[in-house]
Amino acid sequence: MSSGKKIFQSELIKKYGNLIGLITLIILTAFLTKGTFITPRNLINVLRQTSVNGILAVGMTLVILIGGIDLSVGSVVALTGIFAALFQPLGTVPAIVLTVLIGAVIGGWNGFFVTKFKIPPFIITLGMMTIARGLALVFSGGQAISGLNEKFILISESYISPTVFFSVLAFLTLIAAICFLRKMKNGQFKEGFKISPISAINAFFMLAALTLISWLVIFRGLPMGAAIFFVIAMIGIYVLRRMRFGRYVYAVGGNEEAARLSGINVKLIKFLVFTIMGVLAAVAGIVLTARLNSGVPTSGVMFELDAIASVVIGGTSLSGGHGSIGGSIIGAFIIGTLNNGMQLLNIDSFYQEIVKGAIIIGAVLLDRKK
Amino acid sequence: MESNVLLETRNIIKDFPGVRALDKVSFCLNEGEVLGLVGENGAGKSTLMKIFSGAYPAGSYQGEIYLKGNRCAFKSPKDSQSAGIAIIYQELNLIPKMSAAENIFLGREPVIGKTGLIKEEELFRQTQDLLDTLDISVSADEMIENLSIGKQQMVEIAKAVSCRAKILILDEPTSALTEQEIRSLFKMIKSLGARGVSMIYISHKLDEIFEITNRVSVLRDGRTVGGKETSRMSRQELVALMVGRNIEDMYPKEKVSIGKTALEVKDFFVDHPFLTGEKVVRNVNFQVRSGEVLGIYGLMGSGRSELLNAIFGSFSADSSGEVYLEGKHVRINSPHQAIEEGIGLVTEDRKLFGLVLGMEVGENISLSCLEDISWYQVINKQKEDELIERYTRSLKIKTAGSKAIVNNLSGGNQQKVVIAKWLATNPRVLLLDEPTRGVDVAAKVEIYQLMNKLAKEGVAIVMVSSDLPEVLSMSDRLLIMHEGQAIKELDKEEATQEKVMFYATGGKE
Repeated sequence: MSSGKKIFQSELIKKYGNLIGLITLIILTAFLTKGTFITPRNLINVLRQTSVNGILAVGMTLVILIGGIDLSVGSVVALTGIFAALFQPLGTVPAIVLTVLIGAVIGGWNGFFVTKFKIPPFIITLGMMTIARGLALVFSGGQAISGLNEKFILISESYISPTVFFSVLAFLTLIAAICFLRKMKNGQFKEGFKISPISAINAFFMLAALTLISWLVIFRGLPMGAAIFFVIAMIGIYVLRRMRFGRYVYAVGGNEEAARLSGINVKLIKFLVFTIMGVLAAVAGIVLTARLNSGVPTSGVMFELDAIASVVIGGTSLSGGHGSIGGSIIGAFIIGTLNNGMQLLNIDSFYQEIVKGAIIIGAVLLDRKK
Repeated sequence: MESNVLLETRNIIKDFPGVRALDKVSFCLNEGEVLGLVGENGAGKSTLMKIFSGAYPAGSYQGEIYLKGNRCAFKSPKDSQSAGIAIIYQELNLIPKMSAAENIFLGREPVIGKTGLIKEEELFRQTQDLLDTLDISVSADEMIENLSIGKQQMVEIAKAVSCRAKILILDEPTSALTEQEIRSLFKMIKSLGARGVSMIYISHKLDEIFEITNRVSVLRDGRTVGGKETSRMSRQELVALMVGRNIEDMYPKEKVSIGKTALEVKDFFVDHPFLTGEKVVRNVNFQVRSGEVLGIYGLMGSGRSELLNAIFGSFSADSSGEVYLEGKHVRINSPHQAIEEGIGLVTEDRKLFGLVLGMEVGENISLSCLEDISWYQVINKQKEDELIERYTRSLKIKTAGSKAIVNNLSGGNQQKVVIAKWLATNPRVLLLDEPTRGVDVAAKVEIYQLMNKLAKEGVAIVMVSSDLPEVLSMSDRLLIMHEGQAIKELDKEEATQEKVMFYATGGKE
């Protein structure tokens, strides 16, 4: 019985280690900043600052799940940001569509080289990192491009009003309730409705997060960038858990040869994953450009490392096949809290880098111990 | 006689989880002789060699090894090497991007004092002298990757000689060699014999055993079952020693009515994955009817797995020939196409090719048939759960639940998961590659019963197996492969272990 309890405990640490880390970090930062950190105004700031990295982390989770890596995302964020700024005269919607398309082409290019010529992702995306950065400087003439459409800036600067937010929430709750009732009708809970401890804990944390966000929303509304991040993350979670493509991503990362012999088109899956990463990098580029109110060719430096760090801290295995977007979201908020907290504490940015690096190494070490 | 025994083992016992690989092996190698070591796949030859090489260190097995009458214990490959034992493996152990000289003296380079600086000139001169005295036409500065497999093997032998090896073990040395290269290898073996090197020659090719060895020793099921001077041994006698295993009462083969031809393979050739111009399967023709079990038997390197994989569209090299499914000509270029045509392949080595070990039992079972239970991309969870439940139950897969990670299951249950995955695709033709390897007896019987059930349902089964009694008992018909060719087809009634082994080792009427 006690050994069963022990297994359960280690299971808990394994599953919730990063979440416990995030909560500890938030409490610690709140104390050190004498409460400034947990004011609604600052928390909304954290949400806004985290959204770009969060969007990238969702794509990076897929890339790392298939055993790959994408070092080019930071540069691609800058390049697509420049294009988004250059496309402004075409109108806001065409600018967004074209920019996303360019992101898809760049990601597809990476995927093409990885699958067709069997070039290691590390190498091809390292090359693309430099190429995209160079292109960003060429197309912008090395200058920030300002003069964006008013509507475009709203992508980052507007807020989703409490009314809209709670309507959507109510709608989603309704759908969930209908699904539940249909399952009950189909007799899926004949043997009684059982809640496993894990799903109870999951539900608790979800509710807690929702409560926190609702509080922020009542205060000011949900920042648009964060809303985009949450929607993308939810779609990502659904794709990985409920769709064939998601299942194949895990299979390819877990055992590529077995996946191939099971009839999975391994090359297509890899190609698509890199393409999706490119698309998400473009979305991040659009959000960042709107926030900076200009296309900046030198922006996005080291963003790939923050994204990779979020994924790794979130418990996704660098060798592929194991991990989740949920973990990466937590990882992204850990990075976001660190960045924000150290800014509030006026820690020299030189030291910020050191602390971040140490935390990444520590997270991986903890992961090994499991 | 006692005085010239060079290497001797007494009562070697080596256990692996669930199997006894070596069971009191006593074996001796005399000074200056070439000893042939033969046995079926899995008879224990490789295990014994790994004990000699120190790959299985002293202490991981029971029994004693004597070298020139002195007891010795090899704790590592280094111990065994310094005792004068060298092994030439099937897969050569050379570094492709280094020269012959650098490979031969790897770790023993002539250096200037204690500086660690290599005396390049001396290295190449010593190597060239060595290669010349051994009559090997390779230049010391030639890069290994530019040499043919035969030449590479010669470099390995030169390395062994330069290490002053007294005992040279050759493990299937001719499997990747051309006829001409085999000739020069045999010349080399004879000249090494004259230099006083004793050799153990492992091969499935009995022609070679009769040509090159002085004495032959037979392993079967981890035991030495006999041996004598090659000149006093007949081919039939040797084959009888190699097989002769008891057919236990564990093969519940049932008669089922056999239907129309399900799979027909015509003029099938498969290229060698890295030797251009060479073929691993040559001109194979066969057919299987629905409800029939066709057994394919062949020793290592006979091309049996390559044949199955090429039919399934999963082999790395090109193939040619025609495949007909129920009379319809099909072209299969990928496993996905094969699955759509109704072919399943239960691959050899479930850990490498069969399972995604880190995924759940259920996810592995449904992996190949997700298209059937999805609405576009969205997996129908309910249908999936039902499917998993059905196969877990009908195959009696013992697991903590469909959410258990497949890596935590026993070998037999893992194998059942692989089979379940393929049954879930509703195949008309099921190809089984070593379906019971590494599986405990109870699970084996269950797999045989499952084969019966599938045959009754009209599935055509092709089974490749190294287990002679199994393949004899479970097949309706038997195809024997040797060096890429299907050299003989036997009906269940006429097939005996001796006959099958006779053909599988290259015997001709």
